[in-house]
Amino acid sequence: MPALITDKVGKNYVLFSTLISAGVIFMILLMLLIYSWEAITQNGWQLFTTVWNPPAGQFGIASMLYGTVAVTVIAVALAVPIGLMSAIMISEILPGRYRVMVKSLLELLAGIPSIIYGLIGVAFFSLWIGNIFELDTGRTILTGGILLAIMILPIIITLSEDAIHNVPDIYREAAFGLGLYRHEVIFSTLLPIARADIAGAVLLGLGRAMGETMAVMLVIGSIDRIPSPVFNTLVPGQTITSKLGREITESAFGSVHFSSMIFMGLMLLIIVLGITLIAQRFIKLRSRLYE
Amino acid sequence: MSYKWLAALSCLFLLVLYACTNKESIHIDGSTTVLPIIAEVAEEFRSQYPDIRLIVNAGGSGVAVHQVGAGRVHIGMISRDLTEFEKASYPQADFVTHIIGRDAVIPAVSKYVYDAGVRQLSIDQLRAIYTGEITNWAEVGGPDRHILVIDKERSRGTRHVFMEVITGHPEAEAPGADLVLGANNELQTAIMQSNSAIGVLSWAWLNENVRGLAVITDDGEIIEPTKENIRNGQFPIIRNIELITNGQPSGIASDFIDFVLSEQGQKKVEDFGYARVDN
Repeated sequence: MPALITDKVGKNYVLFSTLISAGVIFMILLMLLIYSWEAITQNGWQLFTTVWNPPAGQFGIASMLYGTVAVTVIAVALAVPIGLMSAIMISEILPGRYRVMVKSLLELLAGIPSIIYGLIGVAFFSLWIGNIFELDTGRTILTGGILLAIMILPIIITLSEDAIHNVPDIYREAAFGLGLYRHEVIFSTLLPIARADIAGAVLLGLGRAMGETMAVMLVIGSIDRIPSPVFNTLVPGQTITSKLGREITESAFGSVHFSSMIFMGLMLLIIVLGITLIAQRFIKLRSRLYE
Repeated sequence: MSYKWLAALSCLFLLVLYACTNKESIHIDGSTTVLPIIAEVAEEFRSQYPDIRLIVNAGGSGVAVHQVGAGRVHIGMISRDLTEFEKASYPQADFVTHIIGRDAVIPAVSKYVYDAGVRQLSIDQLRAIYTGEITNWAEVGGPDRHILVIDKERSRGTRHVFMEVITGHPEAEAPGADLVLGANNELQTAIMQSNSAIGVLSWAWLNENVRGLAVITDDGEIIEPTKENIRNGQFPIIRNIELITNGQPSGIASDFIDFVLSEQGQKKVEDFGYARVDN
């Protein structure tokens, strides 16, 4: 019964592939937990203070947590409005023949290695920010946030453009048929219908912003400090990833120092997981008006 | 069509395998201070021994110790002496150091600050700047500007040597720091881009826009950061640049170290502004 055999083989092959993908995520989480266990048991709540001084055995990650949240908020706040408007332009206003061209260009942007963005950031953005705001140094949290916004823009544009473009034409026709203006069709009909997929695009961008290392590391100044007042982002700071990028190679494997670094990685994963779960719950990613 | 692709990929894979197995390779990692010399010496070494692959990276002195201790690289480049803590971290490793030259750690400032009259600082002033007691250039005879203090990553050899001299402790904290950067070129760029920065660099990294300062010793003597003063050991912030191996080097690693210590290698050390070690 060859049909039955190929069917079984095919089913197991698919199952096996899924298990590998799920296993990788599970293994990463497990590894992070195992290696950060020493830091958790040795330092406990001390891990959430602001002092990071490995020779003295102080491993407070608050500054890094702050930096990560700050650059991500800046990046998303800048990239989402621009990205969404660009997506609307490409999908609804631009003539169809330009759509593919513009989209391929944007997808090209998404493939540029982050070190390139980092070098551009060091050579230009940090200088501009320094000059505009008359700072001692342009290596600030804001610079990191702007650079990240540029990096996640292509992702947000191309994915939310897909979301809007995939809304079936009957909705457009029905809305125009009711005599709505074009902006009403876009904002009152298409965007609400595409909402879940747009949220997915923003989440993917947010995840990339949080996990980005190289570009941020080069422009943020890398000092473990929470600015005062806390919303002053025109001073140097540190993110979890930039800290890891700079320090992980200099910590001896198995030390509390190393373990505390891994703990920061664990925190990053937990934050991204948390945001994804909350978003799924509130935006109901699975509910669509069309299939 | 798909078979062609598969065949091409397999060929590529085999080629990579071939490239990996054919030559003996030596991995070198460590200080960006030592990198320029070793990179050049490695170039000459390669032309004399074309069958050997030398892979040179630079992640800082601390990285070199960890990598050599963990057996991931054959030769480490360090721009300071090993600390007791590091030796204790790798009890199973037998670190052997090979001194290949001598270098100075020089306080470097932006051209603007230098031109405005800051030409030398005392050890006390340097300490006050890095601990945050002095925050304006006017306090040390410069323009009325905030001092942008650039610290280095903690594991960097340059920082160890500098902190040892100004505070007496190689891993002292620097609460006055505004930025923490890593490699010499990163610092060089940041100092160049600023109008008010101070950082510490090796002699080889100073240039028109990144000017080295003279250091006033505790005896009140002003010592310029010149090649002569580094060679004769007059400059107060001085260090050895060393290669480290895990155990006595053998085979190619040993050949390479001998090559660095040979007349040809030592000439390169001098070319880069470091002082040679006389055997």
